[in-house]
Amino acid sequence: MSFDLMVIGAGPAGLSAAAEAASHGLKVAVFDENALPGGQLFKQIHKFFGSKEHKAKMRGIDIGIELLEETDSLGVKVFLNSPVVGLYKNREIVVRQKETVRHFKADSIIVATGASENLLPFDGWTLPGVMGAGAAQTMMNINRVKPGNRVLMLGSGNVGLVVGFQLLQAGCELVAIADAAPRIGGYGVHASKLTRTGVPFYLSHTIMRAEGRENVTGVVIGQVDENWQHIPDTEKHFEVDTICLAVGLSPSAQLLKMAGCKMSQNGTPVCDKSGETSLYNIFAAGDVSGIEEASSAMIEGRISAAAAAKKLGFISEKSFQKRSGELDAALSELRQGMFAPQNRNAPLEKTDEGFNISKSLLKKGYITEEEISEYPGFKPGAGIRPVIECTQNIPCDPCRDICPKGCIKVENIVSLPVYDENTNCTGCGLCVAACPGQAIFLTDDRPGKVEEGKVAITIPYEFLPLPEKVGPGMAYDRSGAPLCPAYVSKIQESAFLGKTPLVTFVVPKNMAMRARFWKAV
Amino acid sequence: MRIINHPILGEAAPRKNITFNFNGEEMTGFSGEPIAAALRANNIIIHRYTRKFHSPRGVFCAIGRCTDCVMIVNGRPNVRTCVTALEEGMTVTTQYGAGGGA
Repeated sequence: MSFDLMVIGAGPAGLSAAAEAASHGLKVAVFDENALPGGQLFKQIHKFFGSKEHKAKMRGIDIGIELLEETDSLGVKVFLNSPVVGLYKNREIVVRQKETVRHFKADSIIVATGASENLLPFDGWTLPGVMGAGAAQTMMNINRVKPGNRVLMLGSGNVGLVVGFQLLQAGCELVAIADAAPRIGGYGVHASKLTRTGVPFYLSHTIMRAEGRENVTGVVIGQVDENWQHIPDTEKHFEVDTICLAVGLSPSAQLLKMAGCKMSQNGTPVCDKSGETSLYNIFAAGDVSGIEEASSAMIEGRISAAAAAKKLGFISEKSFQKRSGELDAALSELRQGMFAPQNRNAPLEKTDEGFNISKSLLKKGYITEEEISEYPGFKPGAGIRPVIECTQNIPCDPCRDICPKGCIKVENIVSLPVYDENTNCTGCGLCVAACPGQAIFLTDDRPGKVEEGKVAITIPYEFLPLPEKVGPGMAYDRSGAPLCPAYVSKIQESAFLGKTPLVTFVVPKNMAMRARFWKAV
Repeated sequence: MRIINHPILGEAAPRKNITFNFNGEEMTGFSGEPIAAALRANNIIIHRYTRKFHSPRGVFCAIGRCTDCVMIVNGRPNVRTCVTALEEGMTVTTQYGAGGGA
C-alpha cells in the first residue's frame, strides 16, 4: 500500500499534520501503536493556555475530539494497534499488526512519536506505588481508577502541577509537591491553584527513599543545597501509598535514529524550520523534535505537513508561503514569555512590564498580600469587579477575548492583564471560568446585592461535590490557611463556563482581598 | 478506587461488568478496560516479582512503554497489563521472573 504522506503517531502533532496534509489533497495514513488515537491529549482535562487560534481555554480532551472529527471528515486513514517498528530513509516503514508484519511506502513521512517520561532512581523507586505523573493521569482520567489515595508529587514543572491538581479532582489527597530545584518550575498560577487548597510545596527537596516492603507505604524527602547535595537532619516523612514522578520528558526518537537522521546532542533530530530532518522528505514534529506544550506540537505538525504538501507539488509556492507564514506566527506567539523554551533557565526577576516577580510565588506557590497589590489586574474597589492575580508573562489571553464589556486589556499575548476601571463589569463571571490559570476572582459589595459590611467573592471551583447553596463553610487565603467562616450564596454552572462551575461565598469586607478558596465544614 | 463521578469528565458511562480470575480468585472488572485498571480497582498493585532479586513491581508508565507491569495472562507471560484489554473469563497470574515456570 502506498500513500502521499505517512504520519507515525496519532497524538496532537501527528493528527494535526494529517489533517493539514489531507486538507491540501494528500492521501494520508496515520499509524499508532495504541488502540485509540489521540496520544496523550485525551488525558489533558485542563484548559490550555494561548490565544483563540491555539485553541486556548479549550481542554485537551475537547481539542482531541475536534482533531479526530477533522481527520475523519478529511478521509485520513488511521491504523491503530499498529506499532511502527522500522523506518528507512527511502521512506518505507515496517508495521507490526497482530502477529504479522506489514510494509508501507510513501513520498513523505512525518515522525510524531512524542516523548516518554523520565525516571529518577532513589532508594525504593521500583516499588509498586511509584509511578510517572503521566501514568497517574492515564489511570485517573482515562481508566477512571484512582492511582492511589495519598500521593506525593516529585517535580514542580507544569506536568507536576497540572497532574497534582487533577489528582485532587479525582478525589486523591496530595500531601506535598517536592522539587530539588530552588524554585517552582511551572506557571505560578498552576501552583497557586494547589496552594490555596492546602497543598504544601517543598523546594530544594528531593526524595531520600520510598518506604515499604511490597509496595509504597511512605516517603522521606530531604533538603538539598545549591550543589544538589543532601543537607543532614532535614528529612520529612509522609505516609503515602503513591509517589508520582514529574521529572521531565525525553523525545522518543528511536525510529529517527534507526533511519539514520542526524541527531543533536540533546537527543532530538537536527531539523530545518519546517521540521525536515537530514533525510529527504522525512520530517519530525511535536515532542520528538523538542519537548514543548501540546499547543506547539499541533502547530509544528501543520508546518511540516504544509511543507510536505509543497514539496510534493500539492500546493504552490505562493500558497505555501501564505500558510506557513500564518503557522509560524502562531507558533512564535506561543514561544514568547518567561517560560518559553529559549528562557528555560533564565532567572525570574521582573515581568516585561517591570513588575517584580513574586518570590513567595516561586518558593511557596502563592503571592503574599504585599506583593499582589503591585500588579495591574489587582484593583480593589467598590461594586462588582474582576481581581486578576496573573503575575507572570505567559502567552495567554482568553480573559480579554471573552469579556463582553471589554473590561480586560491584554496588550500583547504575554502581557499581564489589566482591569480597566472605566468599563462596566456586569459580574458575568466568564473571565473567571475562562482563565486557564484560574487566577481571576470577582468581588462584589454592591448595596442591595450583598449585606452591609460584607463582600461576595466568586471563585472557579472544579471539584466535587459542589457546595450546597447557603452551605456553611470556611474561607481560605492564598496560602491555604483558614480565614473565617463563609457561606455560599450562589453556584453557577452553564455551558458557557466550560465545565468550570463558579462558587460565590460571602465574607466580611476586610477579607475581600484575602479569601481565595472555600471548603465545606 | 473507581472514580464514579468526576468534576470535568462527568459520570462514568455504563460499562459491561465481567468476571476474571486473579491468582485463583474471582474478581470483577469492566470489559475492555486495561487489566491493570481492573486490578487497581480490586486493590491489587503488585504485578510481578523480578527474576534475580524477587522484588515486587507494579504499574509505572501505564502506556505500554516500561514493561514493569507484565503478568501471565491466559498462560502467556510478559503481557503488558496496562495496554491489554480485560476480557470475560481471563486468567491473570502474578509473574515470577520471566514467567517461564515456577
